[in-house]
Amino acid sequence: MYSQFNQILNIGLMHYLVLALILFLIGLCGVLISRNLLRIVMSLFIMTVAIVINFLAFGCYCDSSLDNANITCIFALLVSVIQTIIALVILYKIYQANEYLDSEKIKDKEK
Amino acid sequence: MFSEIIYFYLLFFSIIGAALGIILAPRMYFACLSMFLLVCLSSLLYLSLDAIYIAVFQFILCGIFLSVYIFLLLKKIGRLNLNLKLVAVPKVIVSCLFTLILGAVTYLYFKEEFTNSLFEIFNFVTIKSSDVVDFKLHIFPLILVILLVFISLTVIRVFLLRQQAVETLSEVVSSKDSEEDENV
Repeated sequence: MYSQFNQILNIGLMHYLVLALILFLIGLCGVLISRNLLRIVMSLFIMTVAIVINFLAFGCYCDSSLDNANITCIFALLVSVIQTIIALVILYKIYQANEYLDSEKIKDKEK
Repeated sequence: MFSEIIYFYLLFFSIIGAALGIILAPRMYFACLSMFLLVCLSSLLYLSLDAIYIAVFQFILCGIFLSVYIFLLLKKIGRLNLNLKLVAVPKVIVSCLFTLILGAVTYLYFKEEFTNSLFEIFNFVTIKSSDVVDFKLHIFPLILVILLVFISLTVIRVFLLRQQAVETLSEVVSSKDSEEDENV
């Protein structure tokens, strides 16, 4: 009991990995349960944040230099932001064509 | 010591709350606000991991640029107060179950890997790397990537504008044709 309590209080790699895991799962859940396309894009962004936390945690606790993790994270974040912006442009075009961003309505219209 | 623990757990639960706020928000502006909060809080978390560059980079790129971009886009299309809905209840239950199972399996994997014999097999992950990468050497390729991104965004924008112009031109031509047919 005491050791478990001690484990909770000693912040280490495992804590950050658990946080990243929970965030990734929330993002995945958001992609699966959302009907609005914009919210799906935001959920994908949550998953990216989880990945960046994972990289940084490994960089901080397991690497002599943080630069490796920093470089990987900068590229990951940049790619994620670009992906989000391109998705937003596509969503804007979809909105102009359909007047809504509901994935189920778009699916029905396609049928 | 205790302040570090309190700081970590405060950020831990705030970040999870902000993420839940995005996927369960009833209105669009609430989701936008949660996203901005998530960006700010995760930047603070990066500071606790000694990653100042990433914290500043994320705050500027995502907090100031991306969140404001989404906000302005929603304002432009008049959907800031949009009522957000979830999929049907059975689908939500199945998705949550799937996510929970995936989470449990991943957590067990983490726990096994970082606590007992499996750690010995995969210890190359946690051994301190002797390679040191100089951050300054990577600025040039980073600038190249950013330039390429801007070029590709411009090309996409020009392509979309040209396509739009062609569509409107064809619409005008077809409407003129139909008017001429009616006159005949």
